[in-house]
Amino acid sequence: MRSNRVFVGVACAGFLASCATTAPNELVSAREAYRRASTGSAASVAPAELHVANEALSQAERSFQEHSDSYRTRDLAYVAQRKSEMAEATASIAIEQKSQTEAKSDYQATQDKMAVQAKQDLSDTRSALAASERSGELAAERLSAEQAARTAADQRAADAQAALAKLGAVKDEPRGMVITLSGSVLFASNRAILLPEARSRLDQVAAVLLTTRERNLTVEGHTDSQGSDSYNLGLSQRRADAVRNYLVQADYQADRIQAHGLGKGHPIADNASPEGRANNRRVEIIIEREPHTSNP
Amino acid sequence: MRHVSRTGSLVFAMAVVATAIAAGCASAPAPLRTEASTSGIRAAEEVGAPKVPRAALHLQLAKEELEHANGLAASGHRDQASSLLLRAQADAELAVMLSREDTEKSEARAAVERARQLRQETN
Repeated sequence: MRSNRVFVGVACAGFLASCATTAPNELVSAREAYRRASTGSAASVAPAELHVANEALSQAERSFQEHSDSYRTRDLAYVAQRKSEMAEATASIAIEQKSQTEAKSDYQATQDKMAVQAKQDLSDTRSALAASERSGELAAERLSAEQAARTAADQRAADAQAALAKLGAVKDEPRGMVITLSGSVLFASNRAILLPEARSRLDQVAAVLLTTRERNLTVEGHTDSQGSDSYNLGLSQRRADAVRNYLVQADYQADRIQAHGLGKGHPIADNASPEGRANNRRVEIIIEREPHTSNP
Repeated sequence: MRHVSRTGSLVFAMAVVATAIAAGCASAPAPLRTEASTSGIRAAEEVGAPKVPRAALHLQLAKEELEHANGLAASGHRDQASSLLLRAQADAELAVMLSREDTEKSEARAAVERARQLRQETN
């Protein structure tokens, strides 16, 4: 502010002096250069350099008052112009430096942000990997448990087959393991009520079947060729139902047992002889091969 | 009498020599002080002023003014030469500043561009 007041004073004096003598071109240029610098960014960014320029211009103005258009005045004015231009250059340098500093800060901030993001991504990847590993371990455990369960079930089935082989005819067929129980042992002639001896036999069969609860059963009733088809179908169905009901009472899951009466349509022996007909009168219990972990 | 005359002649001769020496010292011009100008010109060249058009112009002016000042001093216009050296010094200093300004501008532009590119990569 003080330098500005000095400049205004000197400028006024210079103006008065110029009334008598025309200022040299160098001084006119110096005044214009200072005016430009003092109204630009140098006023706030490079005040010290602007002050130096002001002092130089004051010196030139004083010289102009004392010596008018002398070489000394022109040289001092020339120097004053350069000082104003230096103040402007200094201001420009300061502004560029500030811009550079801000850009570097911006760059650093972006880099920091990227580093944080990369760290987060790494952490997420590690977590995902850990979760995947845990999932894999669980899957392996589950698979192992299933394999153990299957092995145990297979073992129970093998044990059951061995036990059933002792009770009656057991055949391994494509439809499953087939237990054939003689009709004459289970039922009285033309009747569908289980004989006491049959109950004892079925108790043994049920005890074995209960060790393989996860398998579906099909009970099929068969007759010999004597009698009408419809009668034989009805009789065989009732007999199959009787066996099914007995097994359900013995605690086998009802929804795993189906009963079908097939009549005389599937003989296993010649119906011409009494022995053959006796063999055809039968009940077959078919145990499915594949165990079921849930209800069918 | 003769002796006195010889002594007087010696004193007179010494006085003449002393006067001549004193007169010689007073009339011999002191060397022109060009250090500030020449060092300013050298500094401008070192910071790369010749490669920056505006700075190169003022560097050239400074050199011409220095040369002109030396010429004036040689022709006996010492005061005018000293005054002209102020111009040479001012132009050399301005050449330095303009060169620095150019460097700062380039570096600032590069820094801004680097920051922009990095930001772009993250988006």
